[in-house]
Order: sequence, then structure tokens, then C-alpha cells
Amino acid sequence: MKNLKTSLKEWPIKLIKFYQSFISPMLGNNCRYYPSCSEYTKIEFENDNFLRAFFKSTLRILTCNQLFKGGIDYPVVKKKIKTNFFIKKPVIKYWLIPVNKKDEYIIIKAEKWTITDN
Amino acid sequence: MDNNGQLKRILIATVISFAFFVAYDYFVLTPQQKAASKTIEQNHTMEISSNMNNSVNKTSSNTAKKTVTIATVSAKNFQIKIDSLGRISSFKLKQTKFNTENGKHLELVNDKLPKPLEIRFENRKLNTLAFSIPVKADKNEIVINDKPKTIVLTQDLNSEEIITKKVTFYPDGHYDVKVTLSKPVIYYITPGYRPKVAVDKLTIHGLVVKKSDGTLSIIEDGDAVNETIDNALVTAGFDRYYTTLLYSKTSYSVVIVPDKEENPVAFIKTDSNKEFIGYIGPKFVDTLKSIDPQLIDVVQYGVGTFFAKNLFFLLDWFYKLAGNWGIAIILLVVLVRLVLFPLTYKGMVSMYKLKELAPKMKEIQQKYKKDPQKLQMHMMKLYKEYGANPLGGCMPLLLQIPIFYGIYKLLLYSIELKGASFLWIKDLSVMDPYFILPVLMGVSMYVHQKLTPTNFQDPMQEKVFKFLPLIFTVMMATFPAGLVLYWTVNNILSIAQQWLINRIMASKAHK
Repeated sequence: MKNLKTSLKEWPIKLIKFYQSFISPMLGNNCRYYPSCSEYTKIEFENDNFLRAFFKSTLRILTCNQLFKGGIDYPVVKKKIKTNFFIKKPVIKYWLIPVNKKDEYIIIKAEKWTITDN
Repeated sequence: MDNNGQLKRILIATVISFAFFVAYDYFVLTPQQKAASKTIEQNHTMEISSNMNNSVNKTSSNTAKKTVTIATVSAKNFQIKIDSLGRISSFKLKQTKFNTENGKHLELVNDKLPKPLEIRFENRKLNTLAFSIPVKADKNEIVINDKPKTIVLTQDLNSEEIITKKVTFYPDGHYDVKVTLSKPVIYYITPGYRPKVAVDKLTIHGLVVKKSDGTLSIIEDGDAVNETIDNALVTAGFDRYYTTLLYSKTSYSVVIVPDKEENPVAFIKTDSNKEFIGYIGPKFVDTLKSIDPQLIDVVQYGVGTFFAKNLFFLLDWFYKLAGNWGIAIILLVVLVRLVLFPLTYKGMVSMYKLKELAPKMKEIQQKYKKDPQKLQMHMMKLYKEYGANPLGGCMPLLLQIPIFYGIYKLLLYSIELKGASFLWIKDLSVMDPYFILPVLMGVSMYVHQKLTPTNFQDPMQEKVFKFLPLIFTVMMATFPAGLVLYWTVNNILSIAQQWLINRIMASKAHK
């Protein structure tokens, strides 16, 4: 069961990764949002359950046109956090920022911090 | 380093995808087509081995016997032969546009058994008799001009059972058949083996059964298993362009039997007098619709049928308006652009606002030169502050994909579009032999790029972007001309629109 669940989410992620590296550069920058629709979809599928991720990503793409404002829109994901006190080396992939609702977080992709940044 | 990687990846992807299509065509499609035509020849004498019932199985050996033609039906557009087992043994289309490569009339009845209107009995004795006693026809020649004509086929099985088929042929190629039994007995009647005129690996072929609740069962060649479908209305064997079908207004059961290649063979099972409407011929949507609207579903487009089907109605409507499929495709592009117009208009308005932002944008671009991610984010912030966003968005871009795919499917399956000519193009459903259209597409794409203001953060990406028209020209060269036409017209309209926007912008700037 778990296998099916993970593979159900793996395929969209693989597809998006393929799109991002090979197709997207051909089309140029079009997205009205930040993070871009494909990035948003990838984060959603990596962090939320399949149906919710699918629904939210579809909504995001449908509103990505001139009739909507666009702009900065981070994915907000429902997630139960399991604390593990025995992690050796934390590899930070995402920053989860709690919002007012329980178990819901804004997800921001972690990046390498540089000192020159201000 | 990163830039180089990006460029490399794009080039590799393009080369690989192009190589794939060429190799696929050369190594898979061409040999398969050759093999297919070879097996058809080999199977000429082979009979179907049905394991559905002993009795049905039995018939295989019997049917190998030579049969003679007992009646011919001729009309302006077709010629039918009926053999001594009461089956349609030949159905030829007389119109020259359907002619085979060597100039002969097109034969729609497959060499493989069963033939259309073949009847088999569950009772073994009756079945053996049915395949040995010849059928008598009340006329041996009928000529159809503008009115339907009827032929009665009677088979007297040693007075144990007398079976009559009253077949009425119509000028458009469809027929009514009324089966009458002297006493009730279980029998099977079939629309026959699917036509083998246009069979290839690119398109689906096999059997489609429509049930009374509107659901469809599509059994592709190679996937058939023994099964029975109840409450069926339409049973149709089909290849890319042609079909042979039986339809009844009252539901029946269909027994599906796989043959040696696991292709489906359909037998309608019943035990009483029954009336059917049959059709053998090209899958023209209008013809099928005029026989009965239920039959429209016989036209299958493979994956994405729902979309292609509806797109066909739209395109067909344009065709009837304009009288040419090429113009119909152009009108479709115009329609799509009109639907998207509110969006483009909005974009134009925000373009004005953007002019004022230009110095600030420059500043940001300078600041985050090395980090495209950050740059994108800060640009977004700026757009939000000023309520302007010049980007077109992902939705209008994605919207083109299903339309493009739908047209591709139509060009592949619609017999209406086969041989559709437009200007110098003889057939929109195959590639442009003179490569004029792909070159036009490349040129229009190049011009559009020149006119569209782009802001690439990455000089390498910009270089690739400049090469795209060339890459696309090569890639699209082998695509059906209709598809390239769609893309070309789309580019030209984009150019016109962009030119208009640029002019408005310029006049605005002068003030």
C-alpha cells in the first residue's frame, strides 16, 4: 500500500523534473507566480498527499493567466511533524513556517545562504 | 558552468527526441507494416480458430470449402457480393478516391473469417448443416439507384429449421437485416472480421461495443479474451478509417472470441427473430450519424478520444462554413486566439504600467545578476507593488497542448481529413512533401521571437532560444501538414498581435 502511495507521488515529481530541465527552458519565462507553477507543483507533491497536491496544483495553473494577479504565492501544506532527536546531520531541504491553523505550514525551499546576500 | 549544463541538456534532449522518432519509424514502424502485410498474405488460407463453442469451432473446417457468389448488389458507390452461405463475401467501394495503390477498387471485407452476416448455431448438427446446405436468394442481381432494394436469403436446414435473412440495401451503403427463424434456436450472427485496409501500429484497431447505458468497451487487436458483453446495441469492428458494424435498437449479448493473434471476433448471440442495421464502409461521421446517432461512437481516436471527438465537431462546423479543411484549421486558430483575447488585452494594459517600472527593473536585474531565483522573486515583488505583471502565465500555454494533440489525433483518424487539400498541399494528414510549411513555420517563429521582448537572465538560455526556430523546423518537417499549418497560423497571429501592441506602446511613448 505504501509502495503504491509513494510511486503515485513519485511519477508526477519525475515528470516535473523532466519538464523543468528540458521543456521549460524552451518555453522561456511565462509564469506569473513565484515560485513558478512547476516548482509549486513539485513542492506540493513532495509534501502533501496526492489528491490535495493535485487539486491545488491544478488550481494554481488555472489561475496562472492574465486575469489573475499572480505574484508571490508559497505552497501551504498540511503536515504532521514527527520529531526525531537522533538525527546526525540535518540536511535542510525545506523551511516549514507554521501558520495559524494547526499542522499547516508555508513551505519555502531551502537554499545555500551566502554572506553577500542582503 | 551551470549555463553550459543547461545548454547541453537542451541540445541533448532535442537530439535524442529527434533521433528517437527517426529510429522508431525506421526500426519499428516500417518493419511492422511490412510484417503486417506479409502475415495478411499468409493468413489468406488460415481460418479463425474459435474456442467459444464446440459447434462454432467445428465450422472452421467446414467454412474452408469453396463458396460461390449467389447474388450481387450494385450501386453508384459500391458493389456487394453475397455467397452461398448467405454472407457478404465482398464489399467494394467504387469511388476512385478510395482506390488501392495499384488502382483497384477498395475491398472492405477481410479475408479472415467470419464474414459479415455469417450465422452459426449452438446446436452442432444444425451448424454442420448450415455450412453445407447452400442458401437461396430470391434475386441474383439487384441494382440500387436512389431507392433501397431488398433481397431475401433463405436456408432450409432439412426442414428442421428454416432461416430467412431479409436484407434491404440503401444507396448510402448501409443495410437493414431481418432474421426470421421457423422455430426458436440459439444462433450467432456477426458483423464480420474488421476491415484490414488501414492497419498500422500508430493507430488503434479492433472492436468497439456500445452498451444500452452508453458505455463503450473497446477491445484492441492483440488484447482480446473470451468474454460476453450483455445489453449491447452496437458491435463494430474497425481499422483506422473503415468499419463493419451491426446495430440493433433492442439490446443483445455479444460473445467475443480471440483469434490466433488475440484479435477480437464478435458474435451476437440470440435465439429469436431479430432486426439489425448494418454498415460496411468508411467512418464518415455524417454518414454514421444519418444512419443513427448512436453510431457516432464507432469513430475512436485512441487515447484522448473525448477531446478529439468534440474538436472534430467544431472543426467540421468550420469546414461546412468554409468548404476547406485548411481554412477550417485557420478558423480554429482564430477562435482559440479570440477566446484568449481577454487575457492578452489584460496583458497589454499591464505592459503600459511596466514602462514606468523600467529603471527599477534594471536596478534589480543588476543587483541579482548571479541568482536567477532571487531575481525572479524580487521582480515579482515589484510587479505586485505596482499591480502589473507582464508574464502571460502557464494556463494559456498549457491550453494549446490539448488542442494541438486533438488536431494530431484528428489528422490521424478522421477519414474526412484524409486527402484534404489546401493550396499547394495535397494531403493535410501527411507531411508537406515540399517542406514549404515547416520552413514558413520556422520563419514565423523567428519573427515572433524578434518582436517579443524577452528578459533572459541567462545568456546561454538566450542562445538556445534563438536556435529554437531551426530546431522546430527540423522536428516539424515530418509532422502532418495540418498540424504544422495550425502552428504556423498561430505564430502569424501572435506576430500580428505583438506588432499591434508594440505600435501602441510606441505611440504612447511619443506622448
